[in-house]
Amino acid sequence: MNTEPLVPTVQICRTCGGGAPVDVHFCPQCTRILTLGRHGDYFAFLGVPRKLNLDLADLEQRFRTMSRQFHPDYFHNASLAERRASLERSSYLNDAYRTLKHPIDRIEYLLSLEGADRQSARGASGGQEVPASLLEEVFALNEELDEVRDLKSRGAPEQDWKSRLERAREPIDAKQAQHEAELRELSTQWDALADDAAASERRAVIEALRGRMLERNYISNLLAGIEKEMAQGL
Amino acid sequence: MSRVVGIDLGTTNSLVAYVSENRPVVIRDKNGDALVPSVVSVSADGATLVGHEAMRRLLTEPDRTIYSVKRFMGKGVEDVQDVAGLLPFRISGTPGGVVRLGLGDREFTPPEISALILRELKHRAEEFFAAEGDIDPEVDRAVITVPAYFNDAQRTATRDAGRIAGLEVLRIINEPTAASLAYGLDKRHAGLIAVYDLGGGTFDISILKVEDGIFQVLSTNGDTHLGGDDIDALLTERVLDHLESETSAGRAGFARTHVAIQEIRKAVIQAKWDLSDADETEINVAGYRSRLARDEFEVLIRPFVERTLESCRRALHDADVKPSEIDEVVLVGGSTRIPTVRRLVGELFGRKPHCELNPDEVVALGAALQADILITGNREMLLLDVTPLSLGIETMGGVTSKIILRNSTIPATGSEMFTTAVDNQTAVDIHVVQGERELVEDNRSLARFKLRGIPPMPAGMPRLQVQFQIDANGILSATATELRTNIEQTIEVKPSYGLTDDEVELMLLDSFEHAEADMEARLLIDARNEAESVIAATEKSLRSPEFAEVATHDLSPGEQKKIEQALVGLRHVLSSSDRAAIQQWTEVLNQTTQHLAEVIMNRSVKAALSGKNVDEL
Repeated sequence: MNTEPLVPTVQICRTCGGGAPVDVHFCPQCTRILTLGRHGDYFAFLGVPRKLNLDLADLEQRFRTMSRQFHPDYFHNASLAERRASLERSSYLNDAYRTLKHPIDRIEYLLSLEGADRQSARGASGGQEVPASLLEEVFALNEELDEVRDLKSRGAPEQDWKSRLERAREPIDAKQAQHEAELRELSTQWDALADDAAASERRAVIEALRGRMLERNYISNLLAGIEKEMAQGL
Repeated sequence: MSRVVGIDLGTTNSLVAYVSENRPVVIRDKNGDALVPSVVSVSADGATLVGHEAMRRLLTEPDRTIYSVKRFMGKGVEDVQDVAGLLPFRISGTPGGVVRLGLGDREFTPPEISALILRELKHRAEEFFAAEGDIDPEVDRAVITVPAYFNDAQRTATRDAGRIAGLEVLRIINEPTAASLAYGLDKRHAGLIAVYDLGGGTFDISILKVEDGIFQVLSTNGDTHLGGDDIDALLTERVLDHLESETSAGRAGFARTHVAIQEIRKAVIQAKWDLSDADETEINVAGYRSRLARDEFEVLIRPFVERTLESCRRALHDADVKPSEIDEVVLVGGSTRIPTVRRLVGELFGRKPHCELNPDEVVALGAALQADILITGNREMLLLDVTPLSLGIETMGGVTSKIILRNSTIPATGSEMFTTAVDNQTAVDIHVVQGERELVEDNRSLARFKLRGIPPMPAGMPRLQVQFQIDANGILSATATELRTNIEQTIEVKPSYGLTDDEVELMLLDSFEHAEADMEARLLIDARNEAESVIAATEKSLRSPEFAEVATHDLSPGEQKKIEQALVGLRHVLSSSDRAAIQQWTEVLNQTTQHLAEVIMNRSVKAALSGKNVDEL
């Protein structure tokens, strides 16, 4: 269903008409800022490898340096094309940095680049079927929530049902911690894959990551449900 | 070369600054006053007055005078319905449209009122540059500040105000960020800064990370309806309640007139100011007389301060920073002069806040710096701000789907896919909102877009990608493309509480039309001011201890009488709108007192030369 666009290999400078590699930001011929018509992905844009363990200090330094190059403040007196290019590149830089800065967003983004994002997209996780590995926890939690609502409606003291909710979230919290550890493990596996690793090998890691992310989103929703119940009182 | 300035368009006061030899400087009037009260009054002949002159009319013509117009920026008539009864001027407008304010027989939108204030500042700056000897003192470009928590409609309204005032708005920047820029200049510090900005009408908190000249906002929070105004309203209401209960108890009657309300408001504001230095003050107005102790005042305003602290905690949470990690706290806005505000903010962050720079002026200084950066391309400093509120669109069932999350660094983009619901549908409606709530109705409606020109296809086939762009001003724009055909769609934007470009153009023309009347009003004010200073000088001479002796020795017979007659004549015309008469009588008084002034001057020179005191002569 995904109409894969042609992978761009060259971009054209709107100012002088010269060609430039996709991942440079300024025209090698006329030195003007390039519009964002053709570009690589967030990793390539920031000049970092497509890995999941990134040096955050280095990433931030790149963000700062590039902000100083692209920001619209510095193109106020420039031509319309350059002003537009500056706005586009600054926006893309901000979007890229925001995404890659957060480990979870970074994984989501990698999955989308690797064509495995269809069901893990944020927001779409709401009405998913329960991941098999979580069936037991979900079942127990739902029972507990029902009983808490029942307690509430009978006017039980807040302390009573609050402590039950606290207990109910313990196994979920534990599950979440386990998932975070697994995600870290898988991230390290992905980073260790050589550039020339077999497609099947890459696919396996990506699929495993995708599975963990689905479960993670599901758990987040469960925890949000408990929080909501906690906050609601009566 | 024309000039650029930075403008702090405040709820209570506005001011203008510029950069001179790399340093920002506030522009003052002849009396050394930097603040222009953000008050506009319309006189009976339709002319507009701005600033101190307008503020005086709050007490005499409250129904023709508007203050705190900033609170109406980007608002619809339904937003202000609850306060409409308390306001001395008329409120109108169509539902979903921009609110209109009726002063005298003229109607204004909030951007038009703000434009009058901006034009006053522009004029002040131009006079200043002309006096400096500039060949081209025209001010045609400006950076204008807004509260960080302003939404898109409020920012757009501010930009429109600038355009109506004949200014190219180079950039809209956030007040706390501007303040940090002004502070950062001297210190060159690196680290985490919290800027706490409690002004007349709005509250902002911004957490910034500063490193090698880059001022990066990590998070911002606030309340566009929380400020000194609320404290004034609370105190005013207290006095009114008291007076009314006295009245109902059978004492002398009190009527809640607009004039009475303004008098009380003026008195409680003075009391509030007094309590910044004194432990106790007295409120004595309209038959109300009572002492107010600082402790009592602090208890009264505590809930307001608590609300600001709650915003601070949320901002810290969003920035993922602990209070103890904050390296510097900067205070901005007149309301941070209140000692209890300083103390509680200090306690929250565990350090003494900075208030070296005048909290009324620091925002304008920062705006001037940003204007300079934009014009000169100076790359030493860079502001990276965030969008304060999430941007979303309405989806099925009135639920908000967020596209750009709050605290995202701007400029930022986001996109969303749409499709059609019925076969051969050629247009799709999109409702854009701003806010954090789940339901569309709880968020702020920004605009309704209509995507047109969709190629006829079976339902669900078109793939419409709408791209949202928030620019460096925090203002939204949108483009759309049908991906199957790659046809760019036209987007019709109907801002929910704003003005269309055509309306702004019309207002620009309208303000030219009124420019003549406004110019006349300004000349009248100038004439009155001049007359008042001549009267004051004459009275001073007449009252001076040596006058009796001067009158007998030096003045010709009847000279004193002539002076007194001229004084009466000028006083008589002073309150009229007859500028020519005021100027003539001023001239008459000037001439008749010239001799007197010379004599007194000669005497004091002689006295000085002989080393004697004037009294000894």
